[in-house]
Amino acid sequence: MTTVAPPSRFARLLEGRGGELRAAVPTTLQVNVGKRCNQACHHCHVDASPARTEVMPDDVVEACLDVLARAPELGTLDITGGAPELHPRFRELVVRGRALGRKVMVRHNLTVQFEPGFAGLPRFFADHGVEVVCSLPHYTEEATDRQRGRGVFARSVEGLQALNAVGYSREDALVLNLVSNPVGAFLPPAQGDLERDTREWLLAHHGIVFHSLFTITNMPISRFAAWLRRAGNYEAYMARLEAAFNPSTLPGLMCRSLVSVGYDGRLYDCDFNQMLELGLEAGQPATIFDFDLRRLSFRPVRTGEHCFGCTAGAGSSCGGALA
Amino acid sequence: MAAYFDDADLAHFGDLKQHAPELWNAFERYYAAAFEPGLLSKREKVLVGFAVAQVSQCPYCIDSYTQTALEQGLTIKHLAEAMHAAASLRAGIALAHGLVAHNADKKISM
Repeated sequence: MTTVAPPSRFARLLEGRGGELRAAVPTTLQVNVGKRCNQACHHCHVDASPARTEVMPDDVVEACLDVLARAPELGTLDITGGAPELHPRFRELVVRGRALGRKVMVRHNLTVQFEPGFAGLPRFFADHGVEVVCSLPHYTEEATDRQRGRGVFARSVEGLQALNAVGYSREDALVLNLVSNPVGAFLPPAQGDLERDTREWLLAHHGIVFHSLFTITNMPISRFAAWLRRAGNYEAYMARLEAAFNPSTLPGLMCRSLVSVGYDGRLYDCDFNQMLELGLEAGQPATIFDFDLRRLSFRPVRTGEHCFGCTAGAGSSCGGALA
Repeated sequence: MAAYFDDADLAHFGDLKQHAPELWNAFERYYAAAFEPGLLSKREKVLVGFAVAQVSQCPYCIDSYTQTALEQGLTIKHLAEAMHAAASLRAGIALAHGLVAHNADKKISM
């Protein structure tokens, strides 16, 4: 007998507002090339760490590039992980994505630059016009190290300085953006305020410049959810997210404009659904091998309680606040 | 009553409305208006609130304003500076009251 899960509180809330969440025409292919990372951050929704072994195989890499070649609507290739740079074909993926005329974004943790053999990453990024999105939870050392591990802030500063040194945010075409997640069970601050404070502090104390700062809400899944439960914060955090539900975030949700590809080629509405193994709705293409932009356009999005994370307060997406 | 200052009580602050609804509504309007950004930013006002909570020794307010401050992009390091500023003023106030003793002594001593 097949059992059907009851609709989540999030789905019921949307129903109560007279609608469901539907995607638009996808414009971004977000590719998660694997869960291996040189760090193991407390908030990571991927549960990424040096111990993870999941790596995107060759046929999936080729299928992603083939989809990009066939679908001009997908203007952006967004490469994430883990630390995506650790994938053996990372550089090839970037080069071929750029050769197809796509904007290529890399979600870069900064410290991977200091792994053996990766010192040349800033130069590589600059040579290929990669938009670099760097994780920096806070402009103070203490807060950043609490989330990402001891010594991470100091190495992140060095990494940002290396990116500036090759032209990032000193030349308009080389875009360097920062991403900040709260260091705990609370909502992010106003994006503009934190961007201003971070800009002033990093310039004054470290000579660092950047384009924009994006605030992202910590998602109540995976490692962060485990921490919430251990610390006795899960119920209060979920209540905080739900109470802060803001319907004006709905039009800009990232699930409406991207398709997320798992390391094994399965397709998802977003990176969070990917980590929950919540695949696309039945009837949609299941993997990158049967990608069909027409069918994926205007598809219903699968939701769950974690969706309150993207719709709380000013909202949260890969590009930061939404409202 | 199980305990004084139970953190679960914070969610029931609004229950006080039932005893004097008009006064409560007036308080809510005043409180919300006082914390609207003006010449001072929201964050500056939150820090004022945190400092007052500290020196007033209100556990509910300290708990609540710590979370609010973190959601304004501040960290425990910022709050540590704020609590020392507030505490040092409190120390100064205590010492300033020593002037009463100083003056009393001057008046009645030879």
